[in-house]
This record gives sequence, structure tokens and C-alpha cells, in this order.
Amino acid sequence: MIISLRDISYEGLKDKLTKDDKIVLWSCNTCIKFCGIGGYDNMVLLENMLTADGYDVIGKELVSIACMYSLTEQHRDNPDKSELFEEATTIICLACEDGYEIAEAVFKDKKVIKVVKTLGVGNFTMDRGPVLTAPFESTGLEQSDEGYSYPEIAEKLGLYPTFFSREEARDDSSENLVNININGSDYKVKENLTIMEACMEIGIEIPHLCSAPDLTPDANCRLCLVKVKGEKELVPACAVSVEDGMEIITEDDELNHNRRILLELELASHEHNCLTCHKGNPVIAGSCELQNLVRRFGIKESRFEQNNEELPIDTTSPVLLYDPNKCILCGRCVRACREIACQDNLGFVNRGSETVVAAGANKDFAESPCVTCLACVFACPTGAITEKVAHYTGEDWQEELIFQS
Amino acid sequence: MIFSNSLEYKKLTCQLDKTNDVITIIGCNTCIRVSGAGGPDKMKELALKLREDGYNVKDGIMLPIACMEPYLGIVELSPEVNTVVSLACTAGVSNIRRNYPHIKVVETVDNIGLIVADTNKGVVKIAMPYERHSHKLGEEYPIGSDGKNKMEKEQIPIEVGVE
Ligand code: SF4
Ligand code: SF4
Ligand code: SF4
Ligand code: FES
Repeated sequence: MIISLRDISYEGLKDKLTKDDKIVLWSCNTCIKFCGIGGYDNMVLLENMLTADGYDVIGKELVSIACMYSLTEQHRDNPDKSELFEEATTIICLACEDGYEIAEAVFKDKKVIKVVKTLGVGNFTMDRGPVLTAPFESTGLEQSDEGYSYPEIAEKLGLYPTFFSREEARDDSSENLVNININGSDYKVKENLTIMEACMEIGIEIPHLCSAPDLTPDANCRLCLVKVKGEKELVPACAVSVEDGMEIITEDDELNHNRRILLELELASHEHNCLTCHKGNPVIAGSCELQNLVRRFGIKESRFEQNNEELPIDTTSPVLLYDPNKCILCGRCVRACREIACQDNLGFVNRGSETVVAAGANKDFAESPCVTCLACVFACPTGAITEKVAHYTGEDWQEELIFQS
Repeated sequence: MIFSNSLEYKKLTCQLDKTNDVITIIGCNTCIRVSGAGGPDKMKELALKLREDGYNVKDGIMLPIACMEPYLGIVELSPEVNTVVSLACTAGVSNIRRNYPHIKVVETVDNIGLIVADTNKGVVKIAMPYERHSHKLGEEYPIGSDGKNKMEKEQIPIEVGVE
């Protein structure tokens, strides 16, 4: 992975901005995320900090691989985003310098601000996080298999070992808050949050599968339904915003009964084979969210008739596997491909119980215009789309898949 | 993305021993595949060529990303394997060396530097070369060409060389 460290202080960043700037945060979701700088969460943090300090952040754009020129152009030219990019005057680029060069070229008419120094390539380690192993000569550092850790590099080269920190911004804790009541307790939360986001901030976890913080809500799995006083119907917490005075119940016997039924239906819809699943154990793309919920609700078996039909696994992509048997049709991959990769390579085909995710014009992955960015892999909550790990043996170099768990 | 080009085959074989080395090839399926110096097809080609030339290539493992320890953790080398041929960039090699300190690890590529890619046009452009390759700044190659068939006309209209 490409190794970059922050080279600007929060004050330094603010010096490059004016209160009239219409700012879009532009964040890459690959190497730089593992450097602790890009990705979605850091973008939200920076948005909160700048907003608290009175800057006008008008949008955020998560980009699966910012060093792909074509993909970056597609983000800019996305009709859904045309107004945003037309209005923007300033782009803060949370990408390596490679990605920054592209952002500069793609947004020629705007002020594009870079926040990192890119130092070479390295590894993501289990115990020390990112390390630099093959530095650019200009750093004055020698190549090292052991690698230089972030605190070490920061000290040697006068850079910052971490992302901006919330404490550096003004405290806006009293601004734009609404009063809500959750499960009988009163809270003050920021306006404009969904019920799900507000609960997450407070530390209340609402079961969910089809929603993810970095994707637009679609409210199709119905697991997050909650009760809101005054509403006749149950309300999807992932898609409805908090309002002042809202009284919410996130958990009771009835809601949990519904959730159990939904989960059992998911389990019965296909043979999930959790024991041999890539995501049975935590992997870099997370662990199976369906399995975690099944455990949380103490479900041992499904009361519904099991569908044992086995659908073929698509192993044609060089980088990923698609196993439709483990797919719960949550659509996160479809939205990730559309929103984070800007490719729109995935969609649903067929109807009813025959519905599956398909790549390209219902081709296999290898034949589709997939740019192998892995955004769908990181979005999928189950073992349906996972990274491909292959073992080759024998005289004719036969491919056999390895499960990560 | 990282651009790496294959080293000469001889530079690889001169580090290998036909009688004693039992080899696993560990490959990376990301940047190096886009560069054209790695990926599943290259791995097969290399494995079969080495075998043809009398080397004991036992097997190969293709990781999605070889420079991240969590992926390398999936690899289980057979007990008789004492040599890894790495089909990953320098970062991947360091990762393998650090995690298999008692095994001989042989590199197959030279890291040229960082590239930007255009998948629609099928082109990569060298944006941040290592200093030893600084003359390559701005050069463009077809995706997967392993540093061959340099493009004549500029395809990716960006200025490279960050101040
Ligand atoms: S289908 Fe291909 S292009 Fe779309 S998100 Fe997945 S890997 Fe990226
Ligand atoms: S493949 Fe994964 S992310 Fe896509 S719809 Fe199925 S379960 Fe959801
Ligand atoms: S090992 Fe090298 S070639 Fe593979 S993903 Fe990492 S940086 Fe790219
Ligand atoms: S998480 Fe809200 S409906 Fe799926």
C-alpha cells in the first residue's frame, strides 16, 4: 500500500480556507484509509470540525480508488452530483499525493487542498498499523523490511502521525441540538441525524443489515424498524431523521419478535453454510453481520422451510467471489458500486425469490466492466461478495479457492 | 497505485537452487496485476516456466493484497517449502520477509514508483517515480504491459510531479 502521513496542522488547513469557500471533502477509500487518514469516518470527523468552526462544508464524496483517473472523472460527472460540484469552490483531498494530482486535474477550476505527504510504499501490520518499507529516496530513509512506524516517521520527518483530532476544533456541543427520548431516557443529539445515527452516537445499537454509514439508506431489510410515538406504522431508523421531542422505542418484545422472524427468513432463503464461509471469522472486510445478529438473537434454527437450491458461485473475477447463496439482497454492493465506485456495474435481476445480484449486463464478473476496486467487497455484510484467495497446485496449475475463516 | 516491472528471468533463477529449493509462489492481485508484472496469468506462466527449467515449484497462492499482514495470515506454507518467490511489489516482499524470517524470499520485480490509471482507456501514467527512475516521470503504458509499449501520445491529461 502507498504510505502517506499528514503534513498540515488543523490551523494550517484553516489558513488555506475562507468562510466563503464552498467545501467538498473528497476521500479515497483504499490505501489512505489504512493510513488512518481517508475513508468515510475521517471525512465525517473533518466535516464536524470545520462546521463547528463556521466553515461551509457542502458535501462529502467517498471515492473507492482516487488514483484512477477515469473513476474520478465519473464521480465529478455523476448527474446526481452535478449541482454539488458546480457549487463547490474548494476540494479538501484526503488522498495520497497520487490521488491529489488527479483531483487537481479533474477540478481545475477549484482550489484543491492536499493534507498529506506521500513517502513511498509499505505494509499494514497487525501490531503497528501502517509501516513504510520502501521509502522514496527524498525521505533520506533506507529501505527496511521491518518498516518505519508512523510515530517514528512523524518524528524523523516532522509530520503528524495521526489524523486531525476533534479537540482541535471549536466545541459546538450546544449548537443545533434536538431533544429526543429513547427507550425512556432523554438525550440531546445533533439535528439532521437519522434515528440510527443518533442511537449509534449514544451507544444504542439498532439491528440493521441493509444500511451502512457510507451509503445512502434504502430501508429494505426492515430490521431497524422502531416505534415512534404518534406514528401509526413502525419507522425505519436508518432512513428517518430525528425531530425535536421524538419519543422512540428501539427494542421491545414485539420489535424483537419481528426481527427474529426476518432473520429466520433470511437464513431459510438459501443455504448459508456459515461454517465454511469466508466471513465466519473476522476478516479485513469485517465479519458476517447476519451471523452476528443470528447469534445476538439466539437463533438456533429457522422455523421456515429451508431452500436448498444451490446457485452457482461466480469465481471469474480476478479479485472477488460472488456466492449468491449467501446473498440477502440488501443492495449494499449495488449502492457501493454506484456511489463509492461510481461504476453502476451491479444491479438486481429477476423477480421475487429468483432475484439475484448481477454484474454488468447480467454477465459474469470477468465479462463485466468491473474496475476491481473492492468497494462491493467492503460493503457486503455477509459472505456473498468476498475477496478471492486462490491456491494453485498440480501439473496444470489447478485453481482451488481458499476460505479465509 | 504502484508500478512495478518484471526483473529479468535470469536475475530470479540465479538466486534459486534446483536441487534444494522447494518453492511456493506468493502473488498479489492488485497493483502488480494492473502493472502487468503479476496476477494469476503471470503466476501460471512463471510457475510452468520454472518447472520446465528444472525448479521445484510446489504451488502458488494468490492473495488479493500482499502488502497487508491480515491477508498474508491466510497463507499456510507446506512444511517442505523453504523458498518463496514473490510476485508482489517491494512492499509485498517486505511483508513476506518479515512474516517468514527463516525462508528464502526471492523478488521478481523492480518498483518504479506510483502511477495513476485510466481503466476506460486502459492506460497507466507514472506520477511519482522513485528517484532512480525519475526519468520515467510522466511516461504512459498500456495497463498490464509490464513497462513495455510506451504510449507515444499523452492519454491521461494530468500534470504530474507534485511540488
Ligand atoms: S463490482 Fe467491481 S467496480 Fe463495482 S464495486 Fe465491485 S469491484 Fe468495484
Ligand atoms: S451481495 Fe452482499 S451486499 Fe450485495 S445484495 Fe447480496 S448480501 Fe447485500
Ligand atoms: S503488495 Fe504491492 S502490488 Fe500488491 S497491493 Fe500492495 S502495493 Fe500493490
Ligand atoms: S437497516 Fe434500516 S431497513 Fe435495513
